[in-house]
Amino acid sequence: MADVSTAATLTIDMIHAQQAGLKAIGAGLAVGLTGVGTGVAEMGIGAAAVGAIAENKDFFGLGLLFTVIPETIVIFGLVISLLLMFS
Amino acid sequence: MLKPKTMSRLLIVASKDRMEAVISELYRFNLFHIEEFVEGAREEYQGFKIGSPLPGAGEVSGELVKLRSIISGTSEELFSETQLKVRASDIRGTLSSRLPGIEHTIETLLTERTKLENLIKDYEQKIEALKPFVPIEIPLELLRDYENVSVIAGQLGREMVLTVPNESEFIKEKQGGFLVTAVPKSRAAEVERTLLDAAFQEVPVPVENGTAAIRTQYYETEKNKAAEHLETVKKDLDSAIKENANYLVACEELLTTDVEKAEAPLRFISSERMFIAEGWVPSQQTHDIISSLNRATAEHIYIQEIPVDLEHDSVPVEYNNPNFAKPTELFMDVYSRPNYTEIDPTLLVSIVFPIFFGMIIGDIAYGLIFLIMSLVLRKYLKGESGALLLKTLRNASISSIFFGILFSEFLGFECPWNPLIFSRHLGIGGGEGGGGNAFLWLLGTLIPQNVYTIHAATQSAASGGGANIQGLMVLTIWIGLFHITLGRVLGIINHAKQDHGSHRIKAVFANLGWLFVMWGILIAILSKFVIPYMPDISTLPVVAAGLNIATIIGGVLVVLGIIFIARDSVLEIIELPTIISHVLSYARLMAVGLSSVAIAMVTNYLAIGLMIAPQLKTITPFGILVIIGGIFVFLIGHVMNVALGLIGGGLHSIRLHYVEFFTKFYKGGGKKYNPFGMKRRFTED
Repeated sequence: MADVSTAATLTIDMIHAQQAGLKAIGAGLAVGLTGVGTGVAEMGIGAAAVGAIAENKDFFGLGLLFTVIPETIVIFGLVISLLLMFS
Repeated sequence: MLKPKTMSRLLIVASKDRMEAVISELYRFNLFHIEEFVEGAREEYQGFKIGSPLPGAGEVSGELVKLRSIISGTSEELFSETQLKVRASDIRGTLSSRLPGIEHTIETLLTERTKLENLIKDYEQKIEALKPFVPIEIPLELLRDYENVSVIAGQLGREMVLTVPNESEFIKEKQGGFLVTAVPKSRAAEVERTLLDAAFQEVPVPVENGTAAIRTQYYETEKNKAAEHLETVKKDLDSAIKENANYLVACEELLTTDVEKAEAPLRFISSERMFIAEGWVPSQQTHDIISSLNRATAEHIYIQEIPVDLEHDSVPVEYNNPNFAKPTELFMDVYSRPNYTEIDPTLLVSIVFPIFFGMIIGDIAYGLIFLIMSLVLRKYLKGESGALLLKTLRNASISSIFFGILFSEFLGFECPWNPLIFSRHLGIGGGEGGGGNAFLWLLGTLIPQNVYTIHAATQSAASGGGANIQGLMVLTIWIGLFHITLGRVLGIINHAKQDHGSHRIKAVFANLGWLFVMWGILIAILSKFVIPYMPDISTLPVVAAGLNIATIIGGVLVVLGIIFIARDSVLEIIELPTIISHVLSYARLMAVGLSSVAIAMVTNYLAIGLMIAPQLKTITPFGILVIIGGIFVFLIGHVMNVALGLIGGGLHSIRLHYVEFFTKFYKGGGKKYNPFGMKRRFTED
């Protein structure tokens, strides 16, 4: 009997650990993939914005604005991962 | 406040012989924004022409161009040291006597400097060209000008034997070598082909007499001589400039004012005997300018204040903000200067930006570092926009310290009090010597039984060191809801002020519609789900079809809002999802902040928890090295986090304004108020 109960607690512990691990992987994926998404989106905008600023310096504000718009994607990823990890 | 300075439009008419007096008076005031006259652009000025510059303008501007070329040719640092103001009348007398002499001296020295620099460059090139030939002891004149022999020289990938009769010399280098070969001219092409296969790069034989080594030495000595000469010329130039720097910049300023004054008529409207100047002045100063112009021309002038036509006039915009909001004008100009008729949100940005920045940083130590940075950098960062930026940083850092106290954070450690609002302590590397408690643990070991250990014990028992992520997130969403609502309300006011007729009503209702949809969605969600820190309305009485009254109110608001939006512009319907994404975007206030906390805690855990604390238990010579390494890790980590915080905190806070706030009401595109006149730095009357 004692052996069985030890085995059972061990398994439950392992499941808990596994759950925590999967959570961490999910959190990592959330930040990583959204980061890639943001990067891909900002790639074109950033290049175009720098080109426009080179033509006309007044475009700096608007260029910065356009460039950081996709930043929201990675912020959502970060929020999700923080919620996963710490709450 | 919330509105640019009120401007008045002035029409000044006088005869041409009064022009100089009027221009001087306007220049002195530095308030009159000249409305540039374009010939034939306006009907009421048919037949009028652009004025011609005052007499002597050509000579003065010629003189100015010469002076500026001298100033730009010298290092500008010398000029910034000058502080003393000189009297304009004193310099004016010396413009024809003293200035040409100084200009001549400096100009000669500048030409001499350029000449020597070119000479040195020339020598260097020659030395470089001779370099591969140095090991060859044949005089260079023997390597050219043959009737039947071709001399080929160049870099070769490896040594090789030529099949053609030849006389060769190969100098081995690290990779490959340098080959000089003499072959019969008739077979030169064949040799070149063979060599090209062995990655041959031809080098032309320098046109020199004597061996390369001797020539190189000759050029070296010549170069050194020239360099010595250049040093003395540079020294002379420096002393000449230092001696006259104050005088030169004062002259430059005086001539600039003269040129600007002389060329002002080019912007005026003129006929044969009279001229008309149109422009804008701040309404408050109108009276002063009119009376002083009357005095200067002995009343021989006609000045009229023309009523402003907001529809067609492009009124120049000058900010009208209290002092503490002035630095924020920089952020406004980066985006776009407000239009004359719309609300100027500078004041709101100057209040909300530091709050957002403080929420993101939220650490007493980082706030102090930013505060010190903003105070120390002031000495090094010159220029107006730099000073404004530092003032903004100062305000933001004070706010960071305030939020640091609320969050109870110091370099990622917990302060000896519980967080006054939601906790951000993630508990990374918890337990003895771990991140959050490492500092307390350290103090506990060094000074047993002190307040910190007691506090730490109660602390971990009470809160478990857990961060309240949900609470923070809901807080940021509330902030987003109210910030966006404020933006929409400002949008309603702007449309009510600027638009006319049916479009005005539609635009106002469209903005109201966006608000209805946003709050409607929130009410509908809350009527179904219970969210912490938000009112619980899910238990309200059910009215019909299992829906409670709040769901129905929310639904009605959403539908009504969509109708309002569609009445203004149907295409806007596609933008509806932005309502949710814009509100959730404010979650960055929490997310970016927490990532900075996490970096700080990881740094602390690595440095103190893993490196310093275990070594302190038993001190060994090796342990001391580890402790020093730990201190290093600690410093690097926090320096990096400060830099990231500055960029992240600043950029995300301003972005929330630019993208989420301004798009709701702000158009911008106002014309900058640029008065005729100059702020004098080096001269005075």
